[in-house]
Order: sequence, then C-alpha cells, then structure tokens
Amino acid sequence: MRRLVLFLLFLLLPVRAMAGDSAPASLRLRSVQADFVQEKHLNILAHPIISKGIFLFQAPQSLRWEYRSPVHSVLLLHGGKVEKFVEREGKVEEEQGGPLTSMQVVISEISNWLDGRFTDNAMFAVSFPKKHLVLLTPKDAGLAALISSIELKLADQPGLLDEVTIFEGPGSFTRLTFSNRVLNRDIPPSRFTKR
Amino acid sequence: MPALATLQNGAEATGDEMVFPRGRWQFVHAIDFSIEGHAGSEVLGVTSLTGDEMACALMTVEGFTLFEAMYRQGQGVDVRRAVPPFDKPAFAAGLMTDVRTIFLAPGVATRQCGRSADGASLCRYTEADGEVTDIVLPATGECWQIRTYGADQRLARSVVGRSCRKMGALLVPEYLELKGFGPANYTLKMTLIRAENLGRQASQ
Repeated sequence: MRRLVLFLLFLLLPVRAMAGDSAPASLRLRSVQADFVQEKHLNILAHPIISKGIFLFQAPQSLRWEYRSPVHSVLLLHGGKVEKFVEREGKVEEEQGGPLTSMQVVISEISNWLDGRFTDNAMFAVSFPKKHLVLLTPKDAGLAALISSIELKLADQPGLLDEVTIFEGPGSFTRLTFSNRVLNRDIPPSRFTKR
Repeated sequence: MPALATLQNGAEATGDEMVFPRGRWQFVHAIDFSIEGHAGSEVLGVTSLTGDEMACALMTVEGFTLFEAMYRQGQGVDVRRAVPPFDKPAFAAGLMTDVRTIFLAPGVATRQCGRSADGASLCRYTEADGEVTDIVLPATGECWQIRTYGADQRLARSVVGRSCRKMGALLVPEYLELKGFGPANYTLKMTLIRAENLGRQASQ
C-alpha cells in the first residue's frame, strides 16, 4: 500500500523528457520547488476534499512532499532513505508503515523517470492522446483494480507538469495542480532531512 | 455499566437530536488509528448520511481510497472498495459498527432517561438482545459521550466528543475519540475537517 502511494508521488517529479527523448544537458532540471493543490473527488462526497502543500525536488534523488492542510504530513526521500512524518496532537511523529524493502523498490524507479524512460515502464502502458497529455494505463491486473489510469498534463515549459489526475474508478479521482514553480535553485539539504 | 438504579424512567430525556444528525449530512475527519497503544496511520474519513442510508470512505492523506462502503438499515453493509489490509470482512463490520455508533441513533429499543450518579444527563437504550447504548451529556462538559455494552454488560465501545459547536439542534464535536474494547483494544482519534448539512447546503 505504502509502496503504491510513494510510486504515485514519483509521477509528480519533474518530467525531464518524454517518450525516451533526452533533454540537452543545459536544460536538465537540477531542482524544482512548487506549491500544489490536491482535489479528492469521490461519488459520496458532496464537495471535493481540498489539500494543499509544497514539494521540493533536488537531483538526483531528494524529495520533500509536504501537506500543510488539512493534515500536516511530510514525506522525505534523501540519501536512499524514506521517512514519513505526521502531526499528531501538535507533535510531528514518524509514521510507521509497510516494510522499508518495498520503499527501496520504489526509490529505484526515480532514476527511470528522471531519465525520461516512461515507455520503458513495466507497470504502465503509455500513450499520448493529445499534445501535452500523457496517459498511463496499468499493465498489471492487480494494479488496474486500484488505479484505472493516470493522466499527466504537461506544462508549456518542457519538463514540467501542470496537472496529474489519478483515476481510481467511476467518480473517484485525485487531481493535483501545481503552481509557483521555481526551477534549478539550490535547495539546502536540510530541507530533505528535517521535518 | 452505571447502575440502573440511578436512572428514573421518563425523567429529563437527553435529546437524540443533539447527538445524532437527522436528514442529509456529511462529515470529513482526519482519523488517527492506534491499536493496543501502538500508533498506526493517519487517514481521512468521509461519512455521508441520508435518512436510513449511510456511506463511508477512508483514504490516505495523499488521496488514495482505501475503503468505501454503504450501509442501509435492514440491508447490511455493501463494500464497494477495499484495499488490503482493509479488505477483511471483520474490518468492514467493525468499522461500520464504529461509524453507526457515532452517527446513527440506536434502533428500536427500550429507553430510560434520567441522571447518573455523577449528575450527567443520560439516556439508556436496551435492545431486545440485551445490548445497551448510553447517551450521556456530562454535567460539566459541553459535549456528549456514547457508551455501548454487550449483552454481557461489558463495555464494547466508548465515544467521547470534545469542543462541541452547535449546528442547528446538533452538537458537532471538533474532536472525537472512540475506543473499542475486546480481544484487541483500539482507539480512533477523529479531528473534524468539515461538517455540512446537505439538506440546507450550509457548510462550516
């Protein structure tokens, strides 16, 4: 379960190149900082649940994925280590989840995404129904039972995403929209280690 | 279970309408689950009420739906989505009982109301099978409590609401703590994110 959530987070990392095209070295993304708004839609919900947060990415493999509302939680990846923290009753505590070994498998996916190897992905079939749109469909029936498809809306600026929509089934999806993106500004390492 | 002798039939009834939502309501909570004192995961919970029908869903903070089910009075639970480890029938049954305890008034039952020894206003519902639900409005607090007992009179669940605010006749707790007792003791700490009376389309 936790592996799946982390895997989905990695879809949100900067898309340096699509469909196997490598970006010139001069255009390579070293880092990205952005705000995000997450809308959770569900048939039984009268209105979507809105969550807000920030994400920071520094090549090669450092990530801070932080929700600031309605629940404060932080996912950190740095130096091959994955940690998740949640605020409980005013205190930030590490959340104990699935075995770390499954997280290590997910971490190994990062380099694939950052090298633009979308079409090499063993878990999803990739198609490009429109310009600036990438559709990922699970190959595995087990994963397809959980996620019907993932839609990536590419930004005009090469290598960045405007939106990610994860469809679970009829009436159930999660949409993430990114804003205030800052590229290639060095981020202190402590941002990937401190809660 | 507080001694029945402390109750008086028909005296000073605790208003169900202050505790249990009537009509169409929706609640979104942040839920912190722990079992036997060990911290578990933080999830978001949605409870949607429409008359005799109740729907609930659990999702991760990241928005991934873990569990979704419907309950209709007299028809039982219809699980629509359940991701491991939430796919065990016992989990669905237990969760829906928890949610019903918090949001649905006890069914047809014998009702006695009065004051308990500590001065709390209390209504006791006794089902035909001997299960008991106490609805308590403490004398000192502004919020309500619910306690359920098995036919053996052992405490099965306790719900303590804190920091209640009024939405019409309803007292909506900003914070709820449910404790389940049995082979594995567990606690749900629920912090209100959103409460909506959909009948009036009013939101917080």
